Amino acid sequence: MKVPLSWLKEFVDIEISIQELADKLVSCGFEIEEIIYMRDNIKNVVVGKILTLEPHTNSNHLSICKVDVGESVIQIVTGANNVKVGDLVPVALDNAVLIDGTVIKTGELRGVVSQGMLCSGQELDLTEDDFAGAGVNGILILSKNAKIGQDINDIIGNTEVVLDVDVTANRPDCNSILGIAREVAAVTGKELKLPEMTYRVNNESVHYYVTVENKAFDLCPRYMAAAVKNVIQMTSPKIIRDRLKAVGVRPINNLVDITNYVLFELGQPMHAFDIENLSGRKIVIRRASGEKIVALDGKEYKLDNSDLAICDSEKPIAIAGVMGGEYSSICDTTTTVILESARFARDSVRHTSRKLNLKSDSSQRFEKGIDYISQELGMKRALALFDKYGWGEVVSGCIDEIKESYEDRVITYNYQEINKIIGKEIPKEAIIDILNALTLITTSDGNILKTCVPNYREDIVGVNDITEEVIRIYGYDIVEANIYSNTKGGMTPEQMRMEKLKDIMVGKGAFEIISYSFIPPKAFDMLNVEENSDLRKAISLSNPLGVDFSIMRTTLSYSMIKTIAYNLARNNKECRLFELAKIYLPKSLPLTELPVEKYNLSIGVFGEKEDYYTLKAIIDDIMLIFGIEVSYERKSLSYLHTGRSASILANGKEIGVLGEIHPDVLDNFDIDKKIYIAELDAEYVAQKGIDIKPYKAVSRYQGMERDLALIVPIDMAVSQLLSQIKSGATSILDNLEVFDVYQGKQIGAGKKSVAIKLFFQEYTRTLTDNEVNLEIENILSKLKEIDVHLR
Amino acid sequence: MLEKIENILSSASSKIKAVKDLAQLGDIRVKYLGKNGEITALLKSLKNYPSQERPTAGKYINELRQKVEKLILDTENELSRIQKERKLKEEEIDVTLSKASLMRGGLHPITLAKNELVNAFIGLGYDVQEGPEIETDFYNFQQLNVPKDHPARDMQDTFYITDHILLRTQTSSVQARTMEVSKPPIRMICPGKVYRSDDDATHSPMFHQMEGLVVDKGIDICDLKGSLDEIAKSFFGKGIRTRLRPSYFPFTEPSVELDVSCFNCNGNGCRLCKGTGWIEVLGAGIVNPVVLEYSGIDSKVYSGFAFGVGIERCAMLKYGIPDMRFLFENDIRFLRQYK
Repeated sequence: MKVPLSWLKEFVDIEISIQELADKLVSCGFEIEEIIYMRDNIKNVVVGKILTLEPHTNSNHLSICKVDVGESVIQIVTGANNVKVGDLVPVALDNAVLIDGTVIKTGELRGVVSQGMLCSGQELDLTEDDFAGAGVNGILILSKNAKIGQDINDIIGNTEVVLDVDVTANRPDCNSILGIAREVAAVTGKELKLPEMTYRVNNESVHYYVTVENKAFDLCPRYMAAAVKNVIQMTSPKIIRDRLKAVGVRPINNLVDITNYVLFELGQPMHAFDIENLSGRKIVIRRASGEKIVALDGKEYKLDNSDLAICDSEKPIAIAGVMGGEYSSICDTTTTVILESARFARDSVRHTSRKLNLKSDSSQRFEKGIDYISQELGMKRALALFDKYGWGEVVSGCIDEIKESYEDRVITYNYQEINKIIGKEIPKEAIIDILNALTLITTSDGNILKTCVPNYREDIVGVNDITEEVIRIYGYDIVEANIYSNTKGGMTPEQMRMEKLKDIMVGKGAFEIISYSFIPPKAFDMLNVEENSDLRKAISLSNPLGVDFSIMRTTLSYSMIKTIAYNLARNNKECRLFELAKIYLPKSLPLTELPVEKYNLSIGVFGEKEDYYTLKAIIDDIMLIFGIEVSYERKSLSYLHTGRSASILANGKEIGVLGEIHPDVLDNFDIDKKIYIAELDAEYVAQKGIDIKPYKAVSRYQGMERDLALIVPIDMAVSQLLSQIKSGATSILDNLEVFDVYQGKQIGAGKKSVAIKLFFQEYTRTLTDNEVNLEIENILSKLKEIDVHLR
Repeated sequence: MLEKIENILSSASSKIKAVKDLAQLGDIRVKYLGKNGEITALLKSLKNYPSQERPTAGKYINELRQKVEKLILDTENELSRIQKERKLKEEEIDVTLSKASLMRGGLHPITLAKNELVNAFIGLGYDVQEGPEIETDFYNFQQLNVPKDHPARDMQDTFYITDHILLRTQTSSVQARTMEVSKPPIRMICPGKVYRSDDDATHSPMFHQMEGLVVDKGIDICDLKGSLDEIAKSFFGKGIRTRLRPSYFPFTEPSVELDVSCFNCNGNGCRLCKGTGWIEVLGAGIVNPVVLEYSGIDSKVYSGFAFGVGIERCAMLKYGIPDMRFLFENDIRFLRQYK
C-alpha cells in the first residue's frame, strides 16, 4: 500500500520525521518496503535566467542562449521561440533526469556546445491547470519570484513523499489511507480526523432514477447505489492526479478518478455506470447464467452461475467486484451516473478473479475483505467530492440493500490473560489506553475488560488477538528472554544414519548437490526409459512454473546426469557428486491419496580417474561401514551401458543400481565424456544399517598368504569365482582379494587370468604348511568343477 | 718392540685420517686388525718373546690394538654421519610443490546451515520430525487456520496436484501432524523442502524451511523470545542482538518476526540490512488457540510457540551468497567452496 504523506496528513497530524514515522509503523507491525521521494523523478532541473539570446549561425530555427543557473552561467542551444532575455525558465543541467526517465547530457547541436536544456511544462508533467504557464506551446516561463538556481521541484510542488507500506493479510482495513492513519494516530497519540463527508442534494429521489434488486445476498451482503446528474467531465485537479499517480494509478478523468480516489483513501471500491446504458434503469445482482461480457479491458469473458454479475434488466453490466463492463461504462456523452458501493463476498470475488485470470485494484481489495461500514463511508465521500468540486448534482437519497444489520463484536476477558500470554506484566490502565487508541473501545470492571471490536477489525476474535494489539503498540522490548529447554531430544537412529551416509560420501571426496524435486516429462525420454516403465508413473503438478518443472521425480538419476552435463559444459572436468533426496511414487494416478515418499541416494562420478570400479568401491565401502552384505548382479537398465551396469542386491532384494551411462543417453544430454552413476535406497541403508558391529577377535598367531593365478573362462564373473573358492575352503580361509585380472595372447582365446591373494588364519594356534597346502588342493579341485585351473 | 708399536700406530693413524669412505676404512681394518693384519701378526709374534717380557709386550700390543680400533670406530661413525647427511641432501625436494590427493568432499551450504540449526535445537531438547512434501490441503492449510479462500493463501503461491493434494508451502504442515499424534509437552523441529511458485534472485520454487513447535503448560512470549534469541546467537554469533517485531501468520497469534542486528555493520546500517541495522530471519508466534483446538489439544490448559526459518536465507546471510539460484545450479566451483 503506497501512502502519500500529504494525504495521510489530512487524517492525522504528523509532527515527527518521515524516518521516525516509518520506524513507528515497523514497530507496530507494518514493514516499510521503501520511502519514495517523488522529487527523485526530476533531478538537476533548476531555475535559470536567460542572459543573452542569439540566433544559431548554422540553423534557422535554433537559438543560442547564455543562462545564469546560480552557480555558473552555461550555454544552451534551444529551439524554443517563446523565451526572451530576462525570462526565468526551468533548466535541465548536465546529467539531469526528467520525469519520463530521459537523461540530459552536455552535447553539440549543429556544432555548438549545449550544456543542458530549457524545459517545457509538458517535460515536467505539468498542464496549464496544474501550473500557470505550463500549457504554453514552448518553454515554461516562471514567475519573477522564482530564485535563480532553485530546485524546480520546490517551484512546481513536486515534493511528495510516499511510504510503501507492507500490509499483512489480516489487516485488509489498512489497505487505505484511513486505515494507516488510524494506526499512526494510535502509535503517535494523535487524533484521527475524518475527511469531508457532507454534501448538498437536489430534491429528486434516487428511486426515480434506478431500482436495485439483490438476488444473491450470500455473495453480495450489501449494495448501495446513488445518482449524480448533470455531471461535468474534465481533468481532475493536480492534487488528485498527483496522489493517484503516487499510489500507482493512471488518472483518466474526474469521474473515473473519483472512484479510484475513494478506493485508495477509504479502501472501498466504487463503480460508476452511465444511466443511459442501464436497460430498464434497473440493477439486478444475481448469479450469471452463461452470458458473455466485454470488460473495461476490452476483452470478452464468459460468466457462469459460479460468478456474481451486476446486471440491468437484461444482461450483465459488470463482473461483480472485479471489473465493470465496457458497454455500461461512462463515456464522453454521460450526463447521469449511478454510483455503486458494495460489499461482495471475498471468496466469490476470489473465485471469479482466479477463474477469469482478471485482477484489479478492486478485486484485490474484495478478496482481502471489505467490512460493512466502508460502503457508506465510500459513498458519502464520493458524493461529497462531486459536490465539493461542482462536478454534478447529487440526487437525494441512497439505495441500501443490506442483508442483515451488523453488530460490533464484544470480547470479555480478564486482563491478566493478556499478561499470561506475554509473560510480563503490563498495567491494566496501559492496556485500556492502547486499545482505545486503536478504536477498540474498552471498559473495565475490576480485572474484567470488555472490548468492543468495530466491524472493520474482523481479525480480532479472541484474547490472543487482543494481546497482539496490546503488545505491538506497547512494544516487544519488555519481553525478556527465557530459554525453554529440556534435556531430552535428538535424532532417531535412522535420522543419524542418514547423516552418516552423507558424511561417508563427503569422506569419499564427493560434494553434495541439491536439485529440484520437479523434472520435465521429457526426462524419461532422455533416459530412454521404456514406455511401460514404472518410472514414468510420475505425479504431475496442475500449475507448474513451466513444463521443465512439471512432474515430481521418480528417480534422482535424471537430475544427477543433468547436473554433471551442466558442469561439463562449464569445463568442470572431474568430480564426485551425491544427492540424498526424496522420490515420489504414487499409489495410483491420478492421486487419490498421498504418495510414497522415499529417500534415495544418488551418486555420480566423472573424470579421468573414475570408472565403474571406483564407483562400485564407494558403494562397497558404504555397505561395509553399515554392515550390510550386498552382492552385484549384471543388469541392464534403459539409461545404463548394457555391459557395465549392475543391480545391488541385499538379501536377494534390489536396493540400488549402478553403472556407466549408456552412450545414447549421453548423446541426449550432449555429454561427450563417460560418466558413472548409482542410485540406491537410502532408507534401506538407514533402517538396516548397524551402528556398532559385534566384537571380532584379532588373532595373535601368524597367518599365511598364498597367491593363486587362475585361468578362468572369459565371461565368468569374479563374484562366482570367489564364491566357488569359499565353498571349497574351511574356516581357516580368513580373507581373499583379487589383485589382477588379465586377458591376452599368453592366456588363450576365451580365457582370462585372475590373480587372487588368499589369507589363512587360525585364532588359537599357528597354521602349518601342510594344512594350508591341503586347503589349496581342496579349493583347486572345487575350481575344476567350473572349468578354472591354475595358470 | 716399542718402536715397532709406535711406527704401526703412527702409520695407522695417518692412514685412517686420510680415509675417504667406509670401504677404505674396511681395508685399513683388515690391514691392521685382520687375520693377517699387522697388529694381529704382532700379537702372534709374542710367542717368540722371552716369557718374562711377554706380559708387558702383550699389554703394549693390546693398547695399540685398542687405540687403532677406537680410531677406526670414530672414523667409521664420522663417515657414516657424513654419508647419511649426503643422502638426506640428495633426497631434498621442493617443499612448496603440491600434488593431488583425494580430498574430502563437502556438504551443500544448505545442508551445512540446516545442520547447524538442527544441532542447536537438539541441544535445547528438541526432537527432529519429518513429514510428507506432497501434502493434503487439510494439513498444509485448514488445520493451520487457513480455510479455503482465506486471503492468507495469497501469501504463498501454491503448486497443486489435485484440488486437495498439493506441494507443501511450509513445513508448518508438520506442526498439525505432530500435534495430532503427540501429547504435550511437545518440542520439535522439522527441517525440509517446501515449494512455492516463485522464481527470482531471492525466491526459488523449491526451498528449505525449518519449522519449530513447543507446546506445554504456561508457554509465553518470553519463552519464545529466549529460545529464538539463543538459536540466533548460536547461528549468527554471540555478539548479535535480536528484536521481535509484530507480523501476521494465520496459525500464530500474536505473530512476530525475529530480526537480528546486522552482523555486517553491527547494526549501524549497510547495504546488507538496507540501512535499517536489522535483518529479518524468521517468523514466529504464540500458537493460535484455534490451531491447538483443531488438533485436539486443550487451549485452556496448554499454550505454545511456533516458528519457521528459511534455511536458504540463513545460508545466504551467513556465507554471503548473493543469489538464491546459485544454490541450485550445483556448479562444482561453487560447491567446492563449502568443505
